[in-house]
Amino acid sequence: MVPISYYLFLAAALFCLGMFGVLVRRNALVVFMCVELMLNAANLTFLAFARMRGDTIGHVSAFFVIAVAAAEASIGLAIVIAVFRSRGSVNIEDIKTMKH
Amino acid sequence: MDLQALFKTAPIAPEVISQSLWMIIALPLLGAFVCGVFGRMLGRANVHLVACAAVAGSFVLSVMAFWATSATDASNAPLAIIQNTFGGAQSRYVLWNDLGTWFSAGDFRVNFGLLVDHLSGTLLLVITGVGFLIHLYSTSYMEHDDGYWRYFAYLNLFVAMMLTLVMGDNLVLLFVGWEGVGMASYLLIGFWYTDAAKAWAGRKAFITNRIGDFAFLIGSFLIVLMVGAFVKQANDADLQPVGSSIPRYTAGLEQRGPLTFHGLETMARSLPDANGVVKLDTPISSGPLEGRTYGGMLTVALLLFLLGAAGKSAQLPLYVWLPDAMAGPTPVSALIHAATMVTAGVYLFSRMSFLVVMSPTAMATIAIVGAATSLLAALIAFAQDDIKKVLAYSTVSQLGIMFMGVGMGIFWAAVFHLVTHAFFKACLFLGAGSVMHGNGDETDIKKLGGLRKEMPWTWITFLIATLAITGIFPLSGFFSKDAIFHGVHHNHLHGLEWVSGVLYPVGLLIAVCTAFYMTRLYLLTFEGRRSAEARVAHAHESAWQMTLPLVVLAVLSVVSAVYAFPLLRNSPQALMENFLSPVFQASSRIAGAAGTVELDTSRPTLANYGVAWIVVVIGGSLAAFLYLSFFPARAGQPAPGWARAVRQVALNKFYVDELYDFVIIRPVKFISFVFYRVVDALIIDTVVVRGTAWVTARVGSALRYVQTGDAQAYAAVMALALLGGVIYAILKVF
Repeated sequence: MVPISYYLFLAAALFCLGMFGVLVRRNALVVFMCVELMLNAANLTFLAFARMRGDTIGHVSAFFVIAVAAAEASIGLAIVIAVFRSRGSVNIEDIKTMKH
Repeated sequence: MDLQALFKTAPIAPEVISQSLWMIIALPLLGAFVCGVFGRMLGRANVHLVACAAVAGSFVLSVMAFWATSATDASNAPLAIIQNTFGGAQSRYVLWNDLGTWFSAGDFRVNFGLLVDHLSGTLLLVITGVGFLIHLYSTSYMEHDDGYWRYFAYLNLFVAMMLTLVMGDNLVLLFVGWEGVGMASYLLIGFWYTDAAKAWAGRKAFITNRIGDFAFLIGSFLIVLMVGAFVKQANDADLQPVGSSIPRYTAGLEQRGPLTFHGLETMARSLPDANGVVKLDTPISSGPLEGRTYGGMLTVALLLFLLGAAGKSAQLPLYVWLPDAMAGPTPVSALIHAATMVTAGVYLFSRMSFLVVMSPTAMATIAIVGAATSLLAALIAFAQDDIKKVLAYSTVSQLGIMFMGVGMGIFWAAVFHLVTHAFFKACLFLGAGSVMHGNGDETDIKKLGGLRKEMPWTWITFLIATLAITGIFPLSGFFSKDAIFHGVHHNHLHGLEWVSGVLYPVGLLIAVCTAFYMTRLYLLTFEGRRSAEARVAHAHESAWQMTLPLVVLAVLSVVSAVYAFPLLRNSPQALMENFLSPVFQASSRIAGAAGTVELDTSRPTLANYGVAWIVVVIGGSLAAFLYLSFFPARAGQPAPGWARAVRQVALNKFYVDELYDFVIIRPVKFISFVFYRVVDALIIDTVVVRGTAWVTARVGSALRYVQTGDAQAYAAVMALALLGGVIYAILKVF
């Protein structure tokens, strides 16, 4: 039996990788993928804990996360495509319309 | 059917007319509304019609109501009897109509109750009767004024408010009228508001009145607290002499509120009783007034009411507004001075006579204030050259005499003088208006003279009214004034006996002064040759709308003397005293039980009348000698220095206005200036208002730089926050 701490360390590593990507990458698509990575890290902890406790709450939570991630990806991609059409770029440094 | 039976057979039964009491107030109010809102469209004649008809209708209703109060049945028992809600004796000769709760808060309750007894009935007749004559007079006097519709609206409003004051069956409703006449007088005194001085006069009247009204309010609150304390502390023994009980009394309070005159009277009658637990010198056991005695708090409340009455009735120290109120149109002066507003103070104390007689201190103060005001005003009137100003100071003086009467417990005479004064003072003012009308608005009596032949109607009525106010036998003023002075002489305040000893000579002195200045006024205006400085060569007599009221009022100021005569069989009382006795019997009974005042019911003898008459004749002849032979003979010679100095001081009204200015107005202005600069301009405007805006703006412009729109910067902030959370969690674990 693999101890739960292994899963948690793996999830933390994945989460940090994802966060690192969100903070430093310039391509919006890559940023999205990094967000997916963070969500999957969270899913991994849910499933690990569900396994440990022997009930289904963690599984249900994971499904919710997957559903939200799917919705987010579809809307996010739509926005990215729309932005690309109007500006010809998906570099998020160029998308700062809120800046003063 | 003889005359007496006619008076006692009312055409409308009391229970029928009492349902319509509210219409007496509603009619002039409606008139004010119609004239004020639609007046400009209606045109002159219609406005006159509406305004006069409203007051006339109110007069007719008043006569009916008044008549009904005296109605009797076959066995000569009064028909107008109401059950006293508070238990105890029934009230006779009273019409009462409760229109239900006006407002209530907690156990405090005020009903909209209207009450007409012989006292308020008399005043109703005076207000609507004299008021109607003044309305009629105004139709001619204000003929050429553009604001006539506004004027009549205000005039109607004034009458409506005064009627509310008189008819209210509780102190709160009385206060509504009290405030209402203050507002209406403000509007009317400042009627010609384009003239700054006149607008200021209106403002002065309003503010002076407000000071008094504030005292009135505090006095009312004290009474409410006292009634509350009485209910908690008293037991049935206290109310037994009144024929009530505590449950009955409390039920009455719940039904009609603590400030009803009936309730106050019931309390007043039970306080001086020897067998009860609660007496005048009993300390109040609980509540905000704890530890103070009932008698002491009563005195304080009455003194506060005195200050309120001083404001409304122009007594020391608040009389200064009344002479300035001459800025308004002359019929307004007549209305304010004669029929309405200034009599409110005398009415208030007469209405609460049952409380007044329990406090000799308050009575002495009222009488002394009245006498001092009366004398001061009479002295000022010596030197005034403005015809209306002389009359204004004369009103202040006459009101002082009424206050002397109230203060010495001779209430019926005070009310009687109020009524007769309403007749002759209205006549004088309207006469003065007629003089001004016919002489190009000249008010300086030095520049008039010789009007006797040119304005015969004005002359004869003015002469009669002058004789009446002077107190020449057998006109009404003689009897009413002398009834007061007789009462002042013979009534005694226990513990303060010296007061009546001092005030009686002062009263005679006032009578001399009155005779002097009124004779002077009359002689300079109507007798002698026409002044070279007159504005118009020949004065013209006024229209019938103006002379008719003059004649009616002159007749009334003669015939109202009949009320001073003991015409009733088997009764030595004067007619007026007997007539008002249902109202004032409570106070005489209380005075007897409390032993605070010794009320004397004797009538003036021929010797008393003789003294009064001689005193008046001396004053009048002195003025006649001075102004008919002495001064004309010395014309052209300069007056001696001391005489000029005295005249200068009197002409400047003893510098009372200047004194007020120095002692009160300037310090208040200075303090307001400091508050304006420091508190308002610096603290509130600069620090609080602009300061908060400044801080918000600065914080906003600083935070603006954080809002970059860079999604990764936001994510970094979130990541850092997450990191902080993780570190905190780790620290908590280990």
